[in-house]
Amino acid sequence: MKINKEIRQISRELLRASFTDGKLDNGKIGSLTQSLVEKRPRHYVDILQLYKRLLRLEIEKRHAKIESATQLAPETAVSITDRLKKKYGNDLTTEFTVDPALLGGVRIRVGSDVWDSTVRTRLRRLEQEL
Amino acid sequence: MSSILEEIETKIAGLKTSTTKSNVGVVRETGDGVARIEGLSDVMLNEMIEFPNGVFGLALNLEETEVGAILLGDTTKVAEGDEAKTTGKLLQVPVGKALLGRVVNTIGQPLDDKGPIKTETFYPLEKIAPGVIKRKGVSQPVQTGIMAIDAMIPIGRGQRELIIGDRATGKTTIAIDTIISQARLNKAAEESGDKNYRPLYCIYVAVGQKNSNVARAFNVLEREGAMPYTTIISAPASDTATNQYLAPFAGAAMGEWFMDNGMDALIIYDDLSKHAVAYRQVSLVLKRPSGREAYPGDVFYLHSRLLERAARVGEEFGGGSVTALPIIETQAGDVSAYIPTNVISITDGQIYLETDLFYQGVRPAISVGLSVSRVGSAAQIKAIKQVAGKVKLDLAQFRELAAFAQFGSDLDAATKARLDRGQRIVELFKQTQYNPIPVEEQVAIMWAMQNGFLDNVPVDRVKEFQSKLQDWLQTRKEPLLRSIREKKQIDDDLTAQLKSAMEEFKTTWQ
Repeated sequence: MKINKEIRQISRELLRASFTDGKLDNGKIGSLTQSLVEKRPRHYVDILQLYKRLLRLEIEKRHAKIESATQLAPETAVSITDRLKKKYGNDLTTEFTVDPALLGGVRIRVGSDVWDSTVRTRLRRLEQEL
Repeated sequence: MSSILEEIETKIAGLKTSTTKSNVGVVRETGDGVARIEGLSDVMLNEMIEFPNGVFGLALNLEETEVGAILLGDTTKVAEGDEAKTTGKLLQVPVGKALLGRVVNTIGQPLDDKGPIKTETFYPLEKIAPGVIKRKGVSQPVQTGIMAIDAMIPIGRGQRELIIGDRATGKTTIAIDTIISQARLNKAAEESGDKNYRPLYCIYVAVGQKNSNVARAFNVLEREGAMPYTTIISAPASDTATNQYLAPFAGAAMGEWFMDNGMDALIIYDDLSKHAVAYRQVSLVLKRPSGREAYPGDVFYLHSRLLERAARVGEEFGGGSVTALPIIETQAGDVSAYIPTNVISITDGQIYLETDLFYQGVRPAISVGLSVSRVGSAAQIKAIKQVAGKVKLDLAQFRELAAFAQFGSDLDAATKARLDRGQRIVELFKQTQYNPIPVEEQVAIMWAMQNGFLDNVPVDRVKEFQSKLQDWLQTRKEPLLRSIREKKQIDDDLTAQLKSAMEEFKTTWQ
């Protein structure tokens, strides 16, 4: 996909128009996409693809992935969610997954921020330092 | 043994600090030594990025949704979907005296079989050059041991002198000769216990060269005993464009350590044409806009910021210096091409080597008319100034007359004398490679020439006269050479001694 200035500009404008009160608005996104498909302006496929990518990155910024070696106790999960919401806002969505390869501890990722307390990472760091 | 256990213990204790926060991204595409990473919202320009499998990258393009990074090390270990994280560090190389005598790659890892480099100090590759307040004028000479250069195009400590010429005109040889000369001077000063002499350490940066060329340079330096004072940084043609682009900056960082610690260093960038080509490749795969000859817009800044790091700092800052000898290869003698004009305008002068002269047997093939040192005679010892002050003018007049004399056979005596003198100067300045001449011998030889002791020597025997004179001076007149070296100028006493020595030699010479 070759992205030119025009495509980048339109996609950015579409993204800007997709918010209501600082939150992504599904209704707006749907109508914007629909009108784009109907009107078919120049490079509309590329615009849609870049718009999709920008939306994905925006959604990732408001989505927390919490990985742990074992299933977390419900109260721990709730406390983590509460704390994250306090930091990133109430519209944050959470996703809990279990990965035994982590060996122990928790890894939380929101956008490009990562908090890592897993045993696997610590062992890797030890391996590097030695 | 117990210290090792303690060290491990502290490392384990360090790991107990439970949670680490980092900034990560995902590799979206990789290829040609470049990776595009989505995420990494906190990354800074020129920051190191860590990939899995111990590969590192350098963030060069910060865009709206992604980061363009150049990869260092094995690029095949980075795959799409890999997680990359910021490190908060700049790329740095080991520096210090432990690097002397070693051959290293761009990031300072040893390429020779002499074991790991034991140094605690690291310097970042990119550093802002010393400012106006820290600097001092260039006034101490770099004795290259090449008579034509020391006499006519003197190089000072802290100067940037370009060596420019076509392929196979002896550019690298001038650089190697200079390194050998420094090593001999350093060694002589060490042996004599001369505390006033400031040793000059050399760093040879080979960018985009054939490995065989680097090996040859290494062998010559080792054979001549110059390696104990020299570091070779090798980013050969088979290395990635990234490493070739970074190698000169690594050399500058290593040189700066000497300067910051009050010592003198000489860096040879061999060569910056290939460096510009490597940077062009990196820029194009990073999709930066291209300009003239497809070089990126900041190719001038690339070289100006590199060469600006050559400096001589004031006594209150240690009084150290970094001298740079960049090399540029021209195509068919065209100095007006893009990169050559850039580097000519940045440097404080150039030594221009000509193919025609080279094939006429004038080696080093220095074109006196086009070569210049903007520092001038400030970087010469007084004795050289006394004997070589007029040589450049003599040679210029000789060339003018030589062209004119081709058309007529009847010449007046003055013109003929000038032509004869010119021919002898040209002969004297011919010099075999890897054979630098100490400054005191240069003074004696040029004094003999200036005072007419060579006038009755046939032109084709001038070289023979010179080598026999050097041998004779070394074996029979060592005290005279020593006093030239120590006094650094020719006074009446030395003039008398030189006169009697030359007269004595002339009686023995057939």
